[in-house]
Amino acid sequence: MRIQFIVNGRQVERETNAETRLLDLLREDLHLTGTKEGCGEGECGACTVLLNGRAVNSCLVLAPQVDGKKVLTIEGLAPLSKSHSRHSTGRAKGDELHPIQRAFVEKGAVQCGFCTPGFIMSTYALLRKNPSPNDEEILSALEGNLCRCTGYTKIIEAVRYAAKLMREER
Amino acid sequence: MGRQYLKVNSIEELLTNLGKPGGMILCGGTDLVVKMRSGLLSPELLLDISDLPELREIRKTGAQIEIGAAVTQSELLASEIVREHLPLLITVLSQLGCVQIRNSGTLGGNLVNASPAADSAVPLLLLDAEVILTGSQGERRIAVKDFFRGPGKTALSKGEFLRAVSIPLPNPELSPFFHKIGRRKALTIAIASLGALLHVEGDLIQEVRLAAGSVAPTPIRLRRVEERANGKRVTASLIEEARKLALQSVSPIDDIRASADYRRTVIADLVAHLFEGVLHV
Repeated sequence: MRIQFIVNGRQVERETNAETRLLDLLREDLHLTGTKEGCGEGECGACTVLLNGRAVNSCLVLAPQVDGKKVLTIEGLAPLSKSHSRHSTGRAKGDELHPIQRAFVEKGAVQCGFCTPGFIMSTYALLRKNPSPNDEEILSALEGNLCRCTGYTKIIEAVRYAAKLMREER
Repeated sequence: MGRQYLKVNSIEELLTNLGKPGGMILCGGTDLVVKMRSGLLSPELLLDISDLPELREIRKTGAQIEIGAAVTQSELLASEIVREHLPLLITVLSQLGCVQIRNSGTLGGNLVNASPAADSAVPLLLLDAEVILTGSQGERRIAVKDFFRGPGKTALSKGEFLRAVSIPLPNPELSPFFHKIGRRKALTIAIASLGALLHVEGDLIQEVRLAAGSVAPTPIRLRRVEERANGKRVTASLIEEARKLALQSVSPIDDIRASADYRRTVIADLVAHLFEGVLHV
């Protein structure tokens, strides 16, 4: 079946089927490989993307279900930074980073990096609704994301810092 | 040909297709997609109801709140009606899964999946809720306690679907309680869970309702404990009796998450803990 949807601000049309997950569509068809497959059963959050503005596990969404909807992946985040203009491709160019990405880098919240896109998308979903979250709200927003390297302390620091950066940019 | 997918646009379209061989309803996908990938389920025709407007409403009509089957757990948590009238449901759903799961997962899905550990079954049992089942012959309402027939088994007949849950407005004096035992806070499938609605004055129990998850083939009310405690003062002997009655009320199994013995002990402890809390206010 044919579906149309918007990914990172760009309208796309693809042939897909009920065996394909949104995760597969993004990675295999659209080559947006920033979204990772960890557990493949909704436990780890590595495949987190925003679907119509809400964080979901793309391993639990079937591709036909996104027909007519909006998907945001890690690749679409940098152009959404207020300090950079949007690019027509929906991808960031060069070393432009979204403030959340900058915060994760500067605070050392990235080790092996596999979980990072998922954490950043969960953080983005949180901060667009709640620009000044307290620690409890941060922990709650990230409870569906697993990291096996950092011990989470640096990630929480990065989210606090990202919130500050984004408030300053507004 | 492979598996087919149909985005359902009306109740009529759903009923027409539901009776077809291999037809199965897809909504949030948090259980179904996992089960399809592991080979546990292999539906031939997926009927996606996640955007069906009739199933996505939360309405207050008289003394009832009706929640459409395709309302997500996140939408329930954000609903003014639910926040005002059903604090127990808020307490429980805020501990279900994680943000991503609650954004996709629905109340109807959690019920038809019929896991003995289904978190949302516990508050619905406590609230004496009913499910509204729709088929080509019309609609029927049955109590949530009669909806569950065993692990993965429900009262749904072939060609029938769960349209909504109907919840009578509870006495606002009943305070919510929910405690889930698991390996971690988020994304835990309960090893055992206890929910309660409790109205006490001093140490006098005006009314108590108790329900438990993961300690029987279906989530259950602990009626014998309720009958013993209602209208009584909390004393050490009442707590001990409640603990014993709780032990006798459950029939857990050994599984990958915990032993039956552990589950029995922990549910009895949770019941005792709830009543001890009354004495320490």
